[in-house]
Amino acid sequence: MRTSPLERSVTIVVLAVGSLVALFPIAMIVASAFVSDNPNETGIVWSNLSTAWDEGHFSTYMRSSVVVTLCVVVLATALSCLLGYAFGTMRFRGSSVLFYVLLLGLMIPNEAIVVPLYYQLRELDQINTYQALIFPQVAQSLAFGTFWMRAYFRGTSRELVEAARLDGAGHFRTFWSVLLPMGRPAVVTMVVLFSMWTWNEFLLPLVMIPSNEELRTAPLGLTFFSGQYTGSPSLLAAAALIVALPMLLLFLVAQRHFIRGMTEGAVKG
Amino acid sequence: MTVRAVKKPVLAVAVAAVSAVLALSACTPGGGGGDDGEDAKPEDISTDVASMGDITLDVWDQEVRGGQAKQIEALNAAFEAKYPNVTIKRTSKSFDDLQKTVRLAITNDDPPDVVQVNNGRADMGQFVAAGLLRSLDGYAEVYGWDERFPESVRSTASYSDDGKTFGEGTLYGMAQVGEMVGLWYDKQKLGSLGIEPPQTLEEMESAMKAAKAAGELPVQLGNAEAWPAIHDFGVAMNQYVPRDDTRALGYGRKGASWTSDENVQGADLFKSWVDEGYLTPDFNAVPNDTAWRDFAKGQGVFMIGGTWYQADLEAAMGDDLGFALPPVGPVGEPAVTGGTGLPFAITEASEHADAAAAYLDFLTNADAMKVIQENGGLPVIDGDAASATGVGKEVITAWNKVTEEDALVPYLDWATPDMSDLLGQQLQKLSAGTIDTAAFLDTLEKSYTDFTDQNE
Amino acid sequence: MTSEETVAVPTGDRVRDTRSGRGARRRPGPPGEPRRVAYLYLLPGFVVLTLFLLAPLVYAAWLSLFAWDGLSPGTWVGLQNYVDVLTDPTLRAPFGHALVLVVFFSFIPVVLGLFAASLLTRSTVRGRGIFQAVVFVPQVIALTVVAVAWKRILAPDGPLNDALRAIGLDGIARGWLGDPSTALVAIGLVGTWLGTGLCTVLFLAGLSRVDRAIYDAARLDGAGFFRETLAVSLPSLRNELAVALTLTMVAALRTFDLVYLMTSGGPGGATAVPAYEVYMKSMRQGDVGTGVTIALLLAAFIMVLTVLVNRIPEREDR
Repeated sequence: MRTSPLERSVTIVVLAVGSLVALFPIAMIVASAFVSDNPNETGIVWSNLSTAWDEGHFSTYMRSSVVVTLCVVVLATALSCLLGYAFGTMRFRGSSVLFYVLLLGLMIPNEAIVVPLYYQLRELDQINTYQALIFPQVAQSLAFGTFWMRAYFRGTSRELVEAARLDGAGHFRTFWSVLLPMGRPAVVTMVVLFSMWTWNEFLLPLVMIPSNEELRTAPLGLTFFSGQYTGSPSLLAAAALIVALPMLLLFLVAQRHFIRGMTEGAVKG
Repeated sequence: MTVRAVKKPVLAVAVAAVSAVLALSACTPGGGGGDDGEDAKPEDISTDVASMGDITLDVWDQEVRGGQAKQIEALNAAFEAKYPNVTIKRTSKSFDDLQKTVRLAITNDDPPDVVQVNNGRADMGQFVAAGLLRSLDGYAEVYGWDERFPESVRSTASYSDDGKTFGEGTLYGMAQVGEMVGLWYDKQKLGSLGIEPPQTLEEMESAMKAAKAAGELPVQLGNAEAWPAIHDFGVAMNQYVPRDDTRALGYGRKGASWTSDENVQGADLFKSWVDEGYLTPDFNAVPNDTAWRDFAKGQGVFMIGGTWYQADLEAAMGDDLGFALPPVGPVGEPAVTGGTGLPFAITEASEHADAAAAYLDFLTNADAMKVIQENGGLPVIDGDAASATGVGKEVITAWNKVTEEDALVPYLDWATPDMSDLLGQQLQKLSAGTIDTAAFLDTLEKSYTDFTDQNE
Repeated sequence: MTSEETVAVPTGDRVRDTRSGRGARRRPGPPGEPRRVAYLYLLPGFVVLTLFLLAPLVYAAWLSLFAWDGLSPGTWVGLQNYVDVLTDPTLRAPFGHALVLVVFFSFIPVVLGLFAASLLTRSTVRGRGIFQAVVFVPQVIALTVVAVAWKRILAPDGPLNDALRAIGLDGIARGWLGDPSTALVAIGLVGTWLGTGLCTVLFLAGLSRVDRAIYDAARLDGAGFFRETLAVSLPSLRNELAVALTLTMVAALRTFDLVYLMTSGGPGGATAVPAYEVYMKSMRQGDVGTGVTIALLLAAFIMVLTVLVNRIPEREDR
C-alpha cells in the first residue's frame, strides 16, 4: 500500500518523537548514574554503581527480590497451568461459578487486599516473613494466569487429545507430556509477566516487611535509599538503575516473543 | 448450567471463605500483641546488667545525621564495652522512614526492645493506649530520673495510662537531646546586609525585607514533605499566641481553640511571609533535605528550623552559621517551640526490659550528655555553654535561656492523632492560596474539637 | 500499571476464541468431557486464592464495620464508616482525583495509541519492531524507579523547566509537584507516559490482523487518514480497545505508588487518591475502619467499571 511522502514523514517524526519521549526519563537516569556529583570531576564515573550497591545494601535487597520473584513465578505458573487445564479442557459442576470467583480475583485491586491481610497475618505472627510476600502475590497472579492458560488449553486441538487418549495417556499425561510442552510460548510470556509484576511490586513489601531489612525487596530499598541520599542525585540514579536493570534485561531478551504473545493472549483473555 | 446448580457452590465458597476468615482472626479486631502486664515495681528491678547473661538489645533510632549518628555510635560502643554480655543490634532510619514503619514494627510479634517514638498522640499516645509501651515510673525511681530531668522535660513523654491525657501521668520515654525551633542564619549574609539577629517581630520583618531588596532569599524552606512549614508557621503563631494557649493546643486539651484572634493574627502573619516572597519559591515542591543543603551552600539568609540541623549545618558552613532564638512578638513573652528529641521508649513485649532501662539510663546520664555536646548535639540537661565551640555556644546559651524562662511550648502537631498530617496538608493549601486563613483555621478547629470531644 | 494483574476478560463462557477460528459461535460451556478429576487440579490454586484473596476480602468487609486503630480493641459502628466516606468531602475528594487520573492514564493514551498505530499501519516504515519494544519500556520499569526519574524532570530546577525557560516560557515554569493546580496533572502525565506505549502495542497487533483488502477498499473510496482511522481501524479494534481501556483505567483508579513516592498526596491533599488514603488511614493514622471502607468502595467501583468496559466488544456485535 502506498502512502504520500508527507504522511511517511509524519509517521517517521511520530516514531522518533515517541521513542524519544519513552526513553528520555530512563536515559536521564542512566546518564546521571555515570557522572560525578562533584562538578569538578568530569568524564564517566563507574564508582557510583558500586557505591550505591554497598551503601544501599542492595546485595541483601536484590537477593530478597530474587528469592521472592522465583518463588512467586514458580508457584503461580504451576498452579495457573493446573487451573487453566481444568477450566480449558474439562467439564465439571460449578465450573462457571468458580470461574466467576476467579474473575473477582482479576478485578479486586491489590490495595483492598493488603490491609486486611496485614492484620490477619499479624495475628498469626507472619509479618516480616517470605511467606507474607510470596503467597499473596501468587494469589494475585493466579487469576490472570488461569485466564491465560485456559485460553491456551481451549485453543489446543481436540484431535490431539483424542489421539493421546487412544495411546492410553491419562489426563495428567495428556497435560504434562502432550499439551504443556506445546504451550511453551504461552507459558514463557506468562512467566515474563509474572516476573515483572513481582519484581516491581511495591505496596505489599512496604506493608508486610516493616522491620526486617534482610527481606526488604529492591524497589522498596530504593525508596529508603532515596530518603537518605537526596543530596546525591548521581548515587540515587545509580541505585535506580540497579533496581530497574534486571527487568530491563529480561525484557530485552524476551521482547520480540513477549510482545507478540502479550497482544495475542491478552485479547483472547 | 442451571441456576440451581450454580447456587450450591456459591454457598459453599462463601461458607468456606467465612470460616477461613474466622479461623484466621478473632471476631472483634483486637490489639497488636500488647498485654497490660504488671509494670515493674522498683524492688523487682535489676540494675545489674552484667549478671543478666548474653543479651541482644534490638534498638531502633532515627539518629542518622552526622553528629547524632556519631554520638549514638559512641555511646552504644561504650555500653557494649561496659557490659560485654550485651550486644546492641541497631536499626537506624531517617525520621520520615521511622515514622512510616514504627507503627507496623511495634505491633508485630517481635518488636524492638527500645525504640524512639515521637511524643505526639499519633504515636506515643496511641501506643500507650494500646499497651504497647512500658511504664518507666519504676525505673525512674530506681535510677533517679525524676531528679535528673526537670518536669517540663519529663511531661513531654508522659501520658495517663489510657493514653487520653497528654503531658502528665506516667513516664514512657527518655530523651537525650533538647530541641527547639529557632533562627539559623548566615553570618556573612546578615553582616553584609548590616543587620543584627532580630529580637522582635518588627526587626525580623525588616530584616526579611532588606534581604529581599538585596536580591537574597530571606528564608530558606523546603516543604515537599509538608511538615517543615509547620515550624515556620509555629514561629509566626508564637508571635501572637500566649504560650499557655499554645500548650493547651499542643497537648490536645479540651476547650483550647484554633480560632482565637491571636491564632488568626499568627496565621495571617505566616501567609504574609508567603505572599511577600520571603520564603523559597515553590517551597512546596522542594524536599527538606535539598533546602537545608541549599541554605548551607549560601542560598538564604535565614532558615527557620530545629536544633536537629546543627551538626549538619555546622559541618557545611563552619563559622558562618549562627543561631538565634525566634523574635519576641507583640504577645510580649518569648515562646519557643520545642521540647526534647524523640524519646527512647521500651516496648511492652521486650524480654529484656531491665537491660533496656539500663541502656536508657546510660544514654541519658551526665557522661552521655558530654558525649552529645562533644558531637555537636544539644544535651537535654547540663549543657555547658562555656566549653562549647562554634555555633554550639549560641545554641546552648539559647537553650538555657529558654528553659530558665519557661518559654518552651509543645509542637502544635502533637495535639491529635491526625494533626500532623492535617496541619501539614492545610498549610500547603494556605500557602498555595487555595484556602484563606479563616478556612484554614476552621478546618483545624473542627478536627481538633472532634477529637477532644470524643477523647473524654 | 506494571503491577497490573487485570486483563479485560469478557464474561465467562462468551469469550471469543480467535485462535481456533470458532470465535463467533457461542458454546454452552467449557469443552471436553465431564470430569470430576477437575477438582483435583483446582484444589491447590483455590486454596491459595481462598486464603490470600477471598479471606482478606471478607475480613475487609468485617473490619469496615468497626472503628479500630489497629492497636487496641475495636468498636462496632455498623455502616457509619460508609456514611462517613460517602458524605465527608475530604474523603470523597480522592475519588474525584482518581477520575481525573483516568483521563490521563487511560483516555489520552488510548487516543495517542490509536493515532500512532494507525499511522504505522498505513505506511511501511523501517524500525517498527524496535519502536514497539521501545515504547513498551515504561511498562517494564518499577514505579519506584519511574518516580525517581519523573520527580527529577518535574523539579523546580529540572529539565522540564529548563526547556520551558529556554524557549521563553518562564512564566509557566514552576515546581510542578508543589503547586496544587498542577500536581495532579503532573502525575497524570506520568501515567500518560506509562500507558501510551501499552496502547500502541496492543492496537498495532490488532490492526495487523485486519484484512488489508478492507483498507484498500477504503482507500479506493478516497478515505483520508482520519476517516480511515475512524471507519476501518476503530471498529476492528473493539477487543483491543476493551483491553486497553480496562488495563489503563484500573491502573489509574488504583494509583498508589506514584502518589506515595512523588507527592505523598500533597500539596494540600491535591493528589490524594483512594488507594493512598487506604494506606494512610489504615497503616499510619490508626483509622483502619475508614481505610478498609475506602478500599472496598474502590474495589466495587473498579468492578463495575471493568464489567461496563468489557461490554464494548459484545454489544456492538449484535
